[in-house]
Amino acid sequence: MQIRDYLLRRLALLPVIMLGVSVIVFTLTRFTGSPVGIYASPNMSPDEIAALEARYLLDQPIPFQYAAWIGGLFRGDLGWSGVSVAPVTEVIGLKFAATLELAIAAGLIAVFVGVALGTLAGVRRNKAPDHVARLFSILGASTPTFWFGLLLLVPFYLWLDWFPLGRSTPDIFSSIIHPTGMYTLDAIIALSPVAFFDALRHLVLPAVVLAFGAMAIIVRMMRSSMVEAMSEEYVDAARAKGLPNKIVIRRHARRNALLPTTTVIGLSFGFLLQGAVAVELIFRWPGLGQWVTSAVLAGDQATIMAYVLITALIFMTVNLAVDIAYAYLDRRVVLGG
Amino acid sequence: MSQDWLLKVDNLSVRFQSRGGDAHAVEGVSFEIQRGETLALVGETGCGKSVTARSILRLVPEPPGKYVAGSIKLNVEGKGVVDILSASTKEVMAIRGERISMIFQDPGKALNPSLTIGSQLAEVFGQHRVEMILESAGIEPARASRAEKRIAKQRASFVQLRFFQLTRRSKAAALQKSIDDAVARSLADTGIPNPRKIMKSYPHELSGGMKQRVMIAQALACDPDLLIADEPTTALDVTIQARILELIQDMQKRRGMAVLYITHDLSIVREFADRIAVMYAGHIVETGPAQEVLANPQHPYTNGLLGAIPHRRTPRGQLAAIPGSVPQLIDPPEQCHFASRCQWAAEACLGHVPQLHTIQPNRKVACFRFEEAESLSVAKTDMPIPAEISGEARR
Repeated sequence: MQIRDYLLRRLALLPVIMLGVSVIVFTLTRFTGSPVGIYASPNMSPDEIAALEARYLLDQPIPFQYAAWIGGLFRGDLGWSGVSVAPVTEVIGLKFAATLELAIAAGLIAVFVGVALGTLAGVRRNKAPDHVARLFSILGASTPTFWFGLLLLVPFYLWLDWFPLGRSTPDIFSSIIHPTGMYTLDAIIALSPVAFFDALRHLVLPAVVLAFGAMAIIVRMMRSSMVEAMSEEYVDAARAKGLPNKIVIRRHARRNALLPTTTVIGLSFGFLLQGAVAVELIFRWPGLGQWVTSAVLAGDQATIMAYVLITALIFMTVNLAVDIAYAYLDRRVVLGG
Repeated sequence: MSQDWLLKVDNLSVRFQSRGGDAHAVEGVSFEIQRGETLALVGETGCGKSVTARSILRLVPEPPGKYVAGSIKLNVEGKGVVDILSASTKEVMAIRGERISMIFQDPGKALNPSLTIGSQLAEVFGQHRVEMILESAGIEPARASRAEKRIAKQRASFVQLRFFQLTRRSKAAALQKSIDDAVARSLADTGIPNPRKIMKSYPHELSGGMKQRVMIAQALACDPDLLIADEPTTALDVTIQARILELIQDMQKRRGMAVLYITHDLSIVREFADRIAVMYAGHIVETGPAQEVLANPQHPYTNGLLGAIPHRRTPRGQLAAIPGSVPQLIDPPEQCHFASRCQWAAEACLGHVPQLHTIQPNRKVACFRFEEAESLSVAKTDMPIPAEISGEARR
C-alpha cells in the first residue's frame, strides 16, 4: 500500500523532471551551433541552405524551436537522424534494445560476481580470497574500459577467434524474427538454440568488459559492508543459537550487507551506460553508445538530444527501482518525499 | 562437589593478537557453576568478563582471539563431559542454543533488523527441534521427505517453499502452523502479550524491554541448562530493568537452570546472585557467596569497587573512586595487576602474580595479604601488611 503510493508519486514526478532535462539538453545542444550542417551538403547554395533552415524552423526564435521539438516529441517525432538516415524514433528502439541487452548482461555479471566475491572477501578478511578480491577491484576501478576491451580482444578474437565482433552472424540473424531487439531473448522466444548460442557468443566478451568496472565498485562496497555486518552483535547472537556458519553468513550477515550495496548497484548502472559507449565502439555493438558517438562526430543534434533524453529516463527508472528494492530489503526504511 | 557441577572453567586464558603485541584478555580464570545456581561475574569494562562469557560458547573470533590455555567443561546430562574448547564444530553447535544460551547487552543490536521476530525464533527450533516440529505437524520424523525436513529446519529456498506450498498444501500449512505454534508458545512464556502479532513484527517496531523479552524467549526456547546474561539490563530503561531481571529469575526457578550474570552492576549481584566472582585485568581476584563478599570484601579491588557505589549517606563529592586506571593488557608484567592502584602494595606484589587462595571455606582471594612470605620465598619485609579476616566474615 505504502510502496504503491510512493511509486505513484514518483511516477507523477517523472514528466516534470523530464521536462527540465529536455530544456537543459536543448539549450546546451543549441550552443554548439546550427544543426543544419547534418542536412546540408557542401555544394548547396546559400539560398538552398536558407530554405533548408526555414523547413526545419531554424530561422525561428530559439523558444519557438524548443516548442516545436517538444511538440514533435509528443507526436512521436524526434526529428531526422542524419547518421542513421532515418527518423530518430524509428532507430532509437533498436539501438536501445541493443544497449539494454548489453547492459543487463553486464549488470548481471557484475552483481553476481561482485556480491559473491565481496562476501567471500568480507568473511575471509585479510586472507587469500580477500587479497585476490581487492586486487581485482583495484584493477577493475583503475583500468580504462577501452583498454581492457582491447586487451581481451587480442587473445580471444584475434588469436583464438572464440568470440566474434558485432551482434550476430547475418545468416543466423535472418533465420528468426526479432520482436524484442534483444537477440538472446529473441532466440529464446523463437526456441532456436543455434540463434541463442550465436547471440551469446557475440554478447559474452563486451558484457564481461563492461561488467569489470561496475563489478570492482560492487566488490569493494560488498566487502566493507560485509566486514561491518560480520562484527555486528546479531551475527554473534545467530551463532549463539547454534546456527551453522553458512546460514549465519547468508541469512544474517549478507542480507544486511546487501543494503548499502544495493545503492551502489543502482549507481553502477550509470557506469554501465557510460562504459557502453567505449565498449560498443570496440566490439562494433550497434547500440546507443555507438550511435551517439557517430552523432556527436557528425553534429547530428536530433540524435544527441534523443540519446540524452533516453539516458535520463533510464537513470530515473533505475533509481526508482533501487529505492523500492531498498524498502523491501530494509524494513526500517519508510519511503516518502 | 564431585559431579555436581554443570560447567567447569579451568585455567582459561584468552589472548588477542594486536599490532602492539598480544593482549591478555583473560588469564588463568577458573570457576565452576552448579546446576541451578546463579553466578555473577563482576568487573569493570575491559576486565575480561565478556570474553570469558563468550568463550563458554566459543564465540571469541579466531583470529584475532586465541584460546591459549585451559578448558571449559560442560557436564551434559546423560552424555558425560564435553570440553567446549576442544570439541568439534558440530558438537559446539549442538550445545549453543540448546544446552547453553546467551542474551546480550543491547537487544536492539542482537536481533537481526531485517528478519521478523518470528523467523528469528523459528531458527532456534529449526536448528534444535526439527523432530518436534515434524511430529506436531503429523509427519513421522523418520519418514519425512527431504523437502519437509528442509522446511522444518528453515532451510528451504524461496522457490522450494512456494513449490511445496503449491503441491502439498495441507502439509505445508501444518508445518507452518507447527513452527508458528512453537514460536508463539515460547514468546507467551516470557509474558509477551499478543505473541502472534509480535511474531510478525520487525525488531525496530518493538520497545527495548520487549526486545529483551524476545531475546530471553529465544534463549530459553530449548530449555538450556545454563543461561549466560551478558549485561542484560545495561541498555534498558531503569523502569524495565527490574522486570527483565525478575523474568529471568522466574524462568530460572521454573526450569531449574543455572544463570551466569556478566555485570558491573552490584545491585544485581546483591539481589539475584548466589555466588560472585570479581574480575580485574583478566584475572579472578575474589570469589565467594555473594552476600558475604558484598558485606565483607577482602580483596582491595573488591573493596574499592564497593566503595565506588554512591550511597544515601555518602556526602556529596566524597565518592571513593579507585585511583589510577586499568593497567594495559598487552604483554603485562609479572606482578599483581592491581598493585599500581593498591594502597597495600609492597615489594612482593611487584614481583609475583598472586593466585587465588582459600581464606575460608567457599571464599578465595588472590592477594598477598593473605599469604605467607615462606610460600612465596620472599623476604618478610617485602610482604604487604597481612589482612585481618574480620569476625563478620567468619560468621
